Amino acid sequence: MELERHEYDVVVVGAGGAGLRAAIEAHENGARTAVVCKSLLGKAHTVMAEGGIAAAMGNLWPEDDWRVHFRDTMRGGKMLNHWRMAQLHAQEAPDRVRELEDWGALFDRTPDGLISQRDFGGHRYARLAHVGDRTGLELIRTLQQRTVALGIDVYMECTVTRLLTGPVAGGGAGEEQGITGAFGYWRESGRFVAWQAPSVVLATGGIGKSYKVTSNSWEYTGDGHSLALQAGATLVNMEFVQFHPTGMIWPPSVRGILVTESVRGDGGVLRNSAGNRFMFDYIPDFFRKETAETEDEADRWYEDKKNNRRPPELLPRDEVARAINSEVKAGRGTPHGGVFLDIASRRSAEYIRKRLPSMYHQFKELAEVDITAEPMEVGPTCHYVMGGVEVEPDTAAARVPGLFAAGEVAGGMHGSNRLGGNSLSDLLVFGRRAGLAAAEHALKHTGGVALPEAALADAARAALEPFDREGGENPYTVQQDLQQTMHDLVGIIRTASEIERALERIAELRRRVADLSVEGHRQYNPGWHLALDLPHMLLVSECIARAALERQESRGGHTRDDFPATDAEWATTNLVCVLAPDGGVSLTRQPLPQMPPELAEIFEEVPG
Amino acid sequence: MADSIRLRVSRYRPDTDPEPHWQEYDVPLRKEWTVLDGLNHVKNEVDTTLSFRWSCRMGICGSCGMNVDGEPRLTCATFLSDHAPGPVTVEPLANFPVVRDLVVDLSDFMAKLPRVKPWIIHPDDHRTVEPDVEYLQTPEQLDAYKQFSMCINCMLCYAACPVYGLDPEFIGPAAIALAERYDLDSRDRGERERLDVLVEHDGVYGCTFVGECTRVCPKHVDPAAAIQRYKLKAAMETVKAFLLPRGAR
Repeated sequence: MELERHEYDVVVVGAGGAGLRAAIEAHENGARTAVVCKSLLGKAHTVMAEGGIAAAMGNLWPEDDWRVHFRDTMRGGKMLNHWRMAQLHAQEAPDRVRELEDWGALFDRTPDGLISQRDFGGHRYARLAHVGDRTGLELIRTLQQRTVALGIDVYMECTVTRLLTGPVAGGGAGEEQGITGAFGYWRESGRFVAWQAPSVVLATGGIGKSYKVTSNSWEYTGDGHSLALQAGATLVNMEFVQFHPTGMIWPPSVRGILVTESVRGDGGVLRNSAGNRFMFDYIPDFFRKETAETEDEADRWYEDKKNNRRPPELLPRDEVARAINSEVKAGRGTPHGGVFLDIASRRSAEYIRKRLPSMYHQFKELAEVDITAEPMEVGPTCHYVMGGVEVEPDTAAARVPGLFAAGEVAGGMHGSNRLGGNSLSDLLVFGRRAGLAAAEHALKHTGGVALPEAALADAARAALEPFDREGGENPYTVQQDLQQTMHDLVGIIRTASEIERALERIAELRRRVADLSVEGHRQYNPGWHLALDLPHMLLVSECIARAALERQESRGGHTRDDFPATDAEWATTNLVCVLAPDGGVSLTRQPLPQMPPELAEIFEEVPG
Repeated sequence: MADSIRLRVSRYRPDTDPEPHWQEYDVPLRKEWTVLDGLNHVKNEVDTTLSFRWSCRMGICGSCGMNVDGEPRLTCATFLSDHAPGPVTVEPLANFPVVRDLVVDLSDFMAKLPRVKPWIIHPDDHRTVEPDVEYLQTPEQLDAYKQFSMCINCMLCYAACPVYGLDPEFIGPAAIALAERYDLDSRDRGERERLDVLVEHDGVYGCTFVGECTRVCPKHVDPAAAIQRYKLKAAMETVKAFLLPRGAR
C-alpha cells in the first residue's frame, strides 16, 4: 500500500479558531505540531462567525466581570453546563481577546480607543468584542497568519478518516492504550497519509450538514464527534442542537444562511404578519425578572441598561427560535414562512450600514432586500451542536489518553443552549488549553508510539470500498434523505414517535450507505469524499436521536412536545454516548458535576 | 425567462486528459440561483465527479472564485439570470495552475503571504500581552486601515492581474494590500521591514497600474491604491537615501 508517513508530537485536526489556537499553543510549548484540515487554510467555518467574541472586559460597562459572564452562560444553558468549563471560559476570555489583538486583530473601538463591545442575547452587558459583523474573518485571519509566521506545518485539503490507537509507552505509568496517530487522505490526489503522534487534538466543528436547513457549510459532517466515539471516547449532551432563530428563508438557494444576532443587539425587533412584537408573549418564567415587560422599557434599555430590562428579542436563542416556530405554526408567519426582522424602521440607514455592513450586502446581493428600508424575512436554521466530546475542563482531554477536543466538537461548556458570542471565546480559551495539554502529554510520550500497521491497512481498505461496488446509489441521495429525516423528525420540536421513526430511518440509511458506489477516480472526487463523510453523519445523527428520545423533558435546545416542561431530576443528569461493541450507540445517565459553593453563590448575589 | 440555462464548464482531469476541455450541462434557470447553485446542482444530480471549491455561500470565505464568462467572480454572488440566455462559461481562475476541473493550485499565494509580514511588528521593548492592558486605537485610527483589512483571500485580483499573469514572481495585489493594512495600523512599527520586501525586484514595481485588481475585488479592498502608496513610499525612501546621511533616515 502506498502511504505517506509523518511523525509529530501533536496533530491538530481542523483549522478553525480552536484548531489554529491549539496548534499555536502546542508549537509554543515545544511540540512538533501539524494541522490537518479539509479545506484551504483560512476558509474554515469560523470565518462565517459574525457577531463577536464574548468577554467580560468591562470596556462599556465597568459593572461587568467574569462572574456575571459565568452566570449568564450557565443560565443560558439552563444550568446544564459543566460549571468548571463555564468558569474557565468566563475568566480567561478577556485575556484571549487581548492576546488576539496583540497578534494583529483589529476591533471596532469606543471613542476613547478601547475595544468596543456589543449587546447580544442572554448577555447582561454589552460584551462582544467585534469588528462590524465579520468578527470571524478577522479572528481566523489573525490566527492563520500567526500559524504561518510560526512555521507550523499545515496539511490542507486533507481529510482524517481514522484515529489510530495502540500501546503508548512512557509517562512513568508503564504502558497504556492511547492515541498513536491518525490516518487520512489528500482530497486532491486521493492518496493516503498517516501521522504518527502521541497527541491528537480534535477541532473539527459541528454536525449541521445532517440537517436540511442549516447555516453550516459542507464541512460540518460531524467527523470529529464520530472519530472520537470510534476511538473509545464519549460524547455528552448530544440531544442539544441549536437552531439559530434568524436564518434567511428566501430565496430558497440561500435558505438557512445566518442573519447575525447583532441585528437584534443593535436594535432590530421581531414582528409577525400582524405587525406585533410577539416576543413579549413568549417570556418564560425563568427569565421574567430580567426581561422588559413593555416595548417602552425594552427600547429604553439600549440607552440605559441599569434602570431597564432587556428586550425579549434578546432572550437566549432557544427561546427565540421556539417562539418563531410557534408564530409560524399559528398562521402568523410571513409569505415565505418566517417572521419579520425589522431594523429599518428603528435605526438610521447610516447606522445600519456602519454596524452591519455584511448583512446589508448579503441581503442586497442575495435577496434583493434593502435592510435599511424594509424588514427581513427570517426563520430558524440549524446552527450549532452543544453536544460533543466529553472532556476534562482544565485540559480538554477526552477519555482516551492522548486525545483532546476543543471548540464546537467538545461538549459540556454550553449545557443545553449556547449564548451568542460564546463560541468564539470558547474556541480561543479551550483551543489554547487543549494545545497546551496536548503538548505536555506528547512530550512525556515522545518515541513511545508506533503506527499500527494492521489498522492502517484496514483504514485504506475501508476508504476504497465505495469504488469496489457498482451500480449503487449516489451518495447525495442518501445525504438528502438523512437531512430530510433529521429536519422532519429530530428538529426544533420533537416527540417520541417521530424520534423512533428517525432511528428506524437512520438504520435503513446505514444499510444504503454500505451499498452505495462512487464513479470516477480518487483525484479530487467530491462524490467519494461524501461517501466517506456519510458514516460519520449517520453515527452522530444516531447519537442525537437516541439522546433526544431518552431525555423526557424540554430544556434549551431540546424541546419535547410530549414532555413540554423542564424536569428537576433531568436538571442534574447528563446523557453520555459511547460506542457499544456491536457498533451501535449506547447511552448512560451520569450525574452533573457538583458546583462548588463559592460559584453557586453567584446566582444569589448577581441581580437578575 | 427560459426555464433552463446552459453551463459551459471547463473540465480537466490531469490523470486522463491531455488538456482541459468543455463540458455542457443544462441547469434550471431560477431568478435566485447563483452560478454556484448551478454547479452544485450538477454535482449533486448529474455528475458527482465535478470538482470545485466552495463553502460559506455568503461571500465571506473566498473559496468559490472562478472565471465566469471570462471575468473573475465569486460564484456564490453571481446570478445565472444576469448571464441569461447563456451559455455561461465557467472556468478555473486565470493565472493559476489547474489541479482538476475548476480547482486551482494556490500554493504560490500561500508562500507569498508571510513574506509581507502580516502581523503587528512591535517596538523592541514590547514583549507580550499584559493582563488588563489593551492597545488604544481611536475610531479614526481604525478607519485609516480598515478597508485594507477586508480581504477574503479569494484570489480574484490575482486572476485579473495582467502583470501576475506574465510574471508569477510578482508578489501580487492582495499581498501588497495586506502589507499596507499593517503599515497603516497605528499599533504597528513594521513599515520599514515591509518596505524592504516590497521594493525588491518583484515587489510593487512589477505593477503597471492597470487597476484590474480593484475593479474585480468583491470586498472593495482597493489593492491598486495600496500599490500606489507603496510606490510613493519607495520613492520617498530613495530620495531620503540620496539626501540624508545614513543615521537620519
